[in-house]
Amino acid sequence: MATTRAERLLAPADLQDPATFSQGIPQEAFAEMRARPTLSWTPPSGGDRTGFWSVTRHAPVSEVSRDADLYSSAVGHIQIYDIDEDALSARASMIDLDPPVHTRLRRLVSSAFTPRHVQSYETAVRARIAERLDALMQAGGGNWVEAVAAPIPIGVICDIMGVPESDHDYMIELTDHLVAGTSSKPLEAGAYGNTTDLRLLPFNSPAAHGINEYARALGERRRAEPADDLITKLIEAEVDGERLTDAEFTNFFRLMVFAGNETTRASMAHLALHLVEFADQFERLRSDPSLLDQAVEEVIRYSSPILYFRRTLTRDTVLQDTPLRAGDKVVMWYAAANFDEEVFDEPLRFDVTRPLRPPNVAFGGGGAHFCLGAPLARLELAILIEAILSRGIDLRLAGDPVHVDSNFVNGIEHLEVEVR
Amino acid sequence: MSGTELVRVAVDAERCIGGGQCEMLEPEVFLVDDDEAISSVVGSGALPRPRADVVVHRCPGAAVSIVEPQRPSE
Repeated sequence: MATTRAERLLAPADLQDPATFSQGIPQEAFAEMRARPTLSWTPPSGGDRTGFWSVTRHAPVSEVSRDADLYSSAVGHIQIYDIDEDALSARASMIDLDPPVHTRLRRLVSSAFTPRHVQSYETAVRARIAERLDALMQAGGGNWVEAVAAPIPIGVICDIMGVPESDHDYMIELTDHLVAGTSSKPLEAGAYGNTTDLRLLPFNSPAAHGINEYARALGERRRAEPADDLITKLIEAEVDGERLTDAEFTNFFRLMVFAGNETTRASMAHLALHLVEFADQFERLRSDPSLLDQAVEEVIRYSSPILYFRRTLTRDTVLQDTPLRAGDKVVMWYAAANFDEEVFDEPLRFDVTRPLRPPNVAFGGGGAHFCLGAPLARLELAILIEAILSRGIDLRLAGDPVHVDSNFVNGIEHLEVEVR
Repeated sequence: MSGTELVRVAVDAERCIGGGQCEMLEPEVFLVDDDEAISSVVGSGALPRPRADVVVHRCPGAAVSIVEPQRPSE
C-alpha cells in the first residue's frame, strides 16, 4: 500500500539549514527519525522542485551505498539542492559519476591509496605531525585547527598530488572557501580572477576557479617535467585510449585536494574535543596500545566529518517500508547512521573498545563510492593519536569550538587550546 | 560447522574499486595490481570460511565472493 503524501513523516528539523548543525550533529532529531518505521520526508523549499527522503539508519545507508544502478550519483546532484544540467556536467568528477565511467577514473589513482601503499607515507606523515605538535607545545597552545588539524592533512595530500610545500597554505585558503561559511571573508564573484558563471562552479564558489587555474598551471609544469606524483599520473593517464580533458583533469585535482583536506581535518579537530571530554578513554588506550585501531574508528564514527551524500533514484523501489519513485532524492545521513542504536550499543558513549564490526559509515556504507582516502585518513589519525599520547600532551580547551557553517561538513573552524 | 571449512574466493574485476582491504586482510591470497589497483586472487584462493566472510564483508566494492566450498581435505 503506497503512502500518500499526507501520511509521510516529516523530518523534525530543517536539515537544509546550516544552523541546525551549528552545535554539531543534531542527535535528538536524528534519534527521532531513526525510531520511525519509514524514511522521513522534507518538502521542497527554495528553488528546488522536489523534496527529499532522509535515510538515518545504518542498514539502509549501506543498502543505498551499495546499489549505484538504482541510487545514482550521476543523475542529479550529490548535494541536496538541485543544479542545472550544464552545471552538473561542468563540475563532474568521479564522485558525481556512476560505474563504469566512475570506476575507470577511480582506477587512475586508487593504487596510491591502498592500505599497502599508504604505509609508504608513514615516515612523512609522522614527521609532519611531530613538527606541528612540537610547535604547538612550544607555543603553549593556540588554535588547534590552524596549528594541527588543517595543515597536516593538506600537507599529506599535497605531497601525494605533487603540490610544492610553498603552495600548501594557498590550497588551505582555496579549499576553505569551497565550503560555504568556512571562511570569515565572503568572496567577490571575480575573486581569484574568476570569469566563470558562479552557478557552474562547485559550491558556486570562485575559489573553485582558483583551484582549476592552479591545477592547469601545475599540470603544464609536469607535462614539461614529469615527476613521481599524482599530477603527473593524471596528465599522462589515458582512459579508453584518450587523455583526460581539461575539465576532467581540473575537476579530479579539485576533488582530491578537497576530499583529502576537509574530512581528515574535521576528524582531527574533533579529536581535540574527544581528548578533553573523554580523557579516561585515552588513558585506557595509553595502557593498552593494541586498542589504537578501535580508537581511530571511534574518533571517525563520533566525528562523522561528511554529514551526508545524496543519491537520485533511477527506478521505483521500496526502502525501509517507504515507496520511492524514479527521480526521488535520497539523502544518506552518515552522521545519523553512525549513532544507530541497533548497531552501536549506547551510541553516544565514546568507547575505544567498541568492536570494529559492523563498521561505521563515515567513509560511506560501502560500494563504488566508498572513500578512496580511508586508509590514508586512518593512518594520519593513528599517528596523530600515538604522537599525542607519547608526548604526554595535556590538552585544555581555552574557548568554545566554532563549528563550520555547513549542513554537509561536520567541521570545526576554530578551537582555542592550552597545552601542558 | 567447524571453523576449518575451506572455501574458494574470487574477485569480480569489473566491480573492484581497488580499496585494497582484501590484500591487507589476506596478503597470501589477494594481490592488488600496482598500476590499476585491481585485485586478483593468487593461487587457489582457498580460505577458511570465517576469514573469507570477513573479506567479503569488508570489500567496499562488493567485488569479493565465495565461489564454492572446498573439501576440508584439500
